[in-house]
Formats: sequence, structure tokens, C-alpha cells
Amino acid sequence: MKIKDKVLVVEDEQSISNFISAILGANGYDTLVAETGAEALSMISSHCPDLIILDLGLPDMDGLGVLREVRSWSNLPVIVVSARTHEHDKVAALDAGADDYIEKPFGTSELLARIRTAIRHTRTPLENGSIAQSGKFSVGALTIDYDKHHVLMNGTDVHLTLNEFKIVALLGKYAGKVLTYDSIIREIWGPKAKADNQILRVNMANIRRKIEQNPAAPEYIFTEIGVGYRMRDEAE
Amino acid sequence: MPRGKQIPRAVRDAALTAAVLAAAVGLCALLDRLSEGENHVGLLFVLAVACVSRWTEGYFWGVFSSFFGVVCVNYVFTYPYWEFNFTMTGYPLTFVTLLAVALMVSAMTTQIKRQERLRLESAREAMRADLLRAMSHDIRTPLTSIVGNTAAVLENRDTLSPEQQRALLTDVNEDAQWLIRMVENILSITRIRGGEERLATEYEAAEEIVGEAARKFSKRFPHVRVAVEVPDEVLLVPMDATLIGQVLMNLLENAATHGGASEIRLSVERSGSDAAFLVSDNGRGIPRERLATLFDGGGGAGGGSDGKKNMGIGLSVSRTIVKAHGGAMTAENRPQGGAVFRFTLPMKEEPERDED
Repeated sequence: MKIKDKVLVVEDEQSISNFISAILGANGYDTLVAETGAEALSMISSHCPDLIILDLGLPDMDGLGVLREVRSWSNLPVIVVSARTHEHDKVAALDAGADDYIEKPFGTSELLARIRTAIRHTRTPLENGSIAQSGKFSVGALTIDYDKHHVLMNGTDVHLTLNEFKIVALLGKYAGKVLTYDSIIREIWGPKAKADNQILRVNMANIRRKIEQNPAAPEYIFTEIGVGYRMRDEAE
Repeated sequence: MPRGKQIPRAVRDAALTAAVLAAAVGLCALLDRLSEGENHVGLLFVLAVACVSRWTEGYFWGVFSSFFGVVCVNYVFTYPYWEFNFTMTGYPLTFVTLLAVALMVSAMTTQIKRQERLRLESAREAMRADLLRAMSHDIRTPLTSIVGNTAAVLENRDTLSPEQQRALLTDVNEDAQWLIRMVENILSITRIRGGEERLATEYEAAEEIVGEAARKFSKRFPHVRVAVEVPDEVLLVPMDATLIGQVLMNLLENAATHGGASEIRLSVERSGSDAAFLVSDNGRGIPRERLATLFDGGGGAGGGSDGKKNMGIGLSVSRTIVKAHGGAMTAENRPQGGAVFRFTLPMKEEPERDED
């Protein structure tokens, strides 16, 4: 018998946690529900869930507080639920170590896809350290050769500049995950770089002109408006 | 783009007061050397006090300047020099004059500012009231349908066939989706409640915003073909990306739901110092009688025929957003059929006013 993945839903609105539980149950997950941050923290340590779906607006404590507390001792995947218009919440949650976020209101298939991706990512851990990763990353016609510092489309070098390569390499390393603008800038231009989004936008526009057929209908690097960029995952 | 640092009011006012008073003192000293009389001293300080009272906030700096003026007039620039002489004949008059000028001008300034604020607030209030009226009318229909459909399913589980139940629930789902989009539009309005100076704009690549809107739209309307075109040049446009994304979404959805379009072309191009966004479709086009009042909010006279065509709100919200960015929005029918919506956004940010 296959062991079911256990998902903890931290959500104070019962009508929402009810339907999430129903969907997850119907799709082969075990579901636990916590209504407060304190309850969530105690359930995390006692039930060891495989994934947490965390609403940022909780009655007793800030959802980010729960996230930071969890991140202080565990890497278990956390998907944050946030309202569409609150980009700052999403950015803060990603920077605090959330694996992904989903916008309210969300559809069933979207929720399930996010859960699958997040769980798969923790099962295939990434190496830590700098961008200097070895080996190759491929998705679709795109290949990132980390040893030779090349990005190939259909086997042909697309001639990225050094910074362009670094950006693509970074996104490829975390494929499927949203990297916030600030975290990319920090990684490429150093921690002291002034957060200048314009340079990043221009670099990204140039990258897209080299690897995408139509830079406004990207197939490899997606924009998450107001938040950051995300490289397509193999499974997409 | 983060706004330039606002200099605290008090510091600004203090600096301004110091500058005006210094200028007055300087002028007095200059005129003192050139002419014999002392009449100009009092007059210059009256002028200085009036200026300070007009340009600073509240009463403090005006009153402060009048005291300073009295000291200067009495102590420095009139006989006996560098000595206080409170028995001088004109002294009480000078003092009373300066103080009166300070108080009157300050009072007037404060009043003008208050009236200005009230006027702005009432204009904003009127806009909000209009929107609310239009919205509550439009919201009632889908809510009624949701309540009715769910009640029908709950109360007739055994008599309704699974297909019938499914149809009713599909309606509920669609109505709820529609309500969500409506709420998103309302939320967008609250983001620009303060007018232009409150917009949190950042330089964004127009192609990213357009591309992302097309991607989201295609997820919701997979049967509508969207062609996206952007220039080779990277257009960096200062904007609140979420709001402009909302505008594009509204236009795309309108084309699909109201225009019945099967193909939409979404493009960006440079137009002088503006970036122009175009959404053109091959649908039915805009009814001639609605063209004039398209952006005014509400459904228009016959607009509510099928109960939930809130083209008005999406469009009026969109135009409000574009206007708040300093741009303009127009709509027309294409000669070959279908509608085209065009809006522009300035690519240079308005210069800040606080460089004084």
C-alpha cells in the first residue's frame, strides 16, 4: 500500500479549510487542519506533515511568524496562501523561506499542481552553495551547461553575457520556484547592490530575446508580476 | 520607483523662514548704507512676515517672524542702533502691525488649504459613491442566482438528476468567478484612492506585463486565441504592475465575453514619449449607442439586459487606473469589424515637485 502524503492546512476560515480538505482527500492526501498559528506549530512537531498550506492571515499570530518558526528547524515544504493584491506579503513569505505561494481565490487543479511540485522538490534536494553548480539542466529545448557556462537552445550556444548567464543559471538551479527580484539582484550583483529593478528587467528582456521565440509569450522564464521570475519546471 | 525623500514639514518651514528673514535683514542692511531714511525697514519686515505666513504651515512661523521683525526693527535698524528702545513712538504700532499681518495671512492660508482638502475629498467621495451604486446593482444578480441554485441543489438532491445538479453548480461557479473579478476591480480602486501621488510605481518592462496578462487570460479562456506582439526595443514604463495587469485583464475579458471574440491581438508600441497598449479583437464591436458613455461606469441605459454584463465597471476602473498613471484610454470599432481599445502610459516619471 502506498503511504499517503500528509498535508497540514493552516487556515482559520472553516469554509475554506473544508473545501481544501475535501479536494486533498479526494486526490489521495491525508489532511490535517489547524486554525491558529499555535495549533499549527504544535501539530507540525507532533504529526510531521509532508507539506504545509499556510494562510498568512491567522487570528493569533502572523503567518510569517509561523513560517519563520518552522524554517528555524525544518525544510519541510510550505505553500503560502495570499490575496492577489498583496505582492509585499508574497515577497516577504518567499524571502522568509516559503517554497511557493498561491493566490486567493485559487482553483483545484492549480492547488494540486503546486502541492505536487513542492513535494517533488523536497524529494530531490538541491545542492547548497553558490551558483557554481556542476552538470547540466535541461527543460524543453533549453540546456544550461553549468561546467562550460553555456546556455544552449536546440544544442546551439545562445551567447549570453556573464550576468545573463548567472541569472539563467540561478533560475535553472531553482527551476519551478519563484525567485524574488531582490534575491536575484543580491545573488548576481552582490549583497551591497542597490536594489535596482531596471537593470534586472533589461537583462531579462535581453535573455528572452535570445532564448524565447516571442519574448512576450515566454516558454522558459515566466514573470510573476510584482514578485519575481520563475524557470519552467521539467514537469510543466 | 521609490518616491524622493519627503523633507519633514517642520524642517522645510524652518529653513524657509530663515531664508526669508535673512533676505529681509540683508536688504535692510543694504538699503541702510544707500539711503538715509528708516521707513523701508518696517515695510520690508511686513512683507517678509506676510511671505512666511503664506508659505509655511500653521501660525507658528508667521508669529515667530513678527517677533523677529520687531526685534530687528527696534534693535538693529532704527535709532538708537544696537539698543532696545521701548519708548520709541512707533514701536507698539510696528509690533501690532507685524503680528496682525502674520495672524491674518496664516489664517487665510490655513483656510485655503482646508477648503482645497475638502474639495478633493468630496470629489473622491462622489467617485466612490458612483462606483458603489453601480456595483451593488450588479452584484445582486449573481448573488441571487448563487443562493437560488445552491438552494435548489440542497433541497432537491433526490429529484434532480446528476446532470441537472451539475448544470446548476456550474452556474454557481461562474457567478462566483464573476463576483471575484468584480471584487478584484474594486480592490484596484482602493489601491489608488489617494490619486496620483499614492501610486507605487516601478519601472517595468511592458512586454512582461503584457505577456503575463496574456498567459493568465489563456488559462481562463483556453478557446480564445491571443497573439502578443512587442517591439524589439525594451520599453521600461513606470507603473503599478498589478494595476496595469488588471487593466489588460479587463480588456481581454471584455473582448471575449462581451465582444464574443475568438481572436485577440495584444500589442505594445512606442508612441512618442508614451508606451501605447492595444487590445484589438475580431468580435462584435462596441454598440454605437454605448461608445460615448463606455467608460462612465454602470451598464448604461440598456446595458443590464442580461443582468450581469458589467462592462461598465471593468472599463471605468481601467480608465481610472490609466488616468492615475497619467495616461489616456480610448475605444473604437475597427473598420473590418471588432473593437480596439488603446491606452497610453507615459514612459518618463513626472518630475517631483519637492525640489524647492
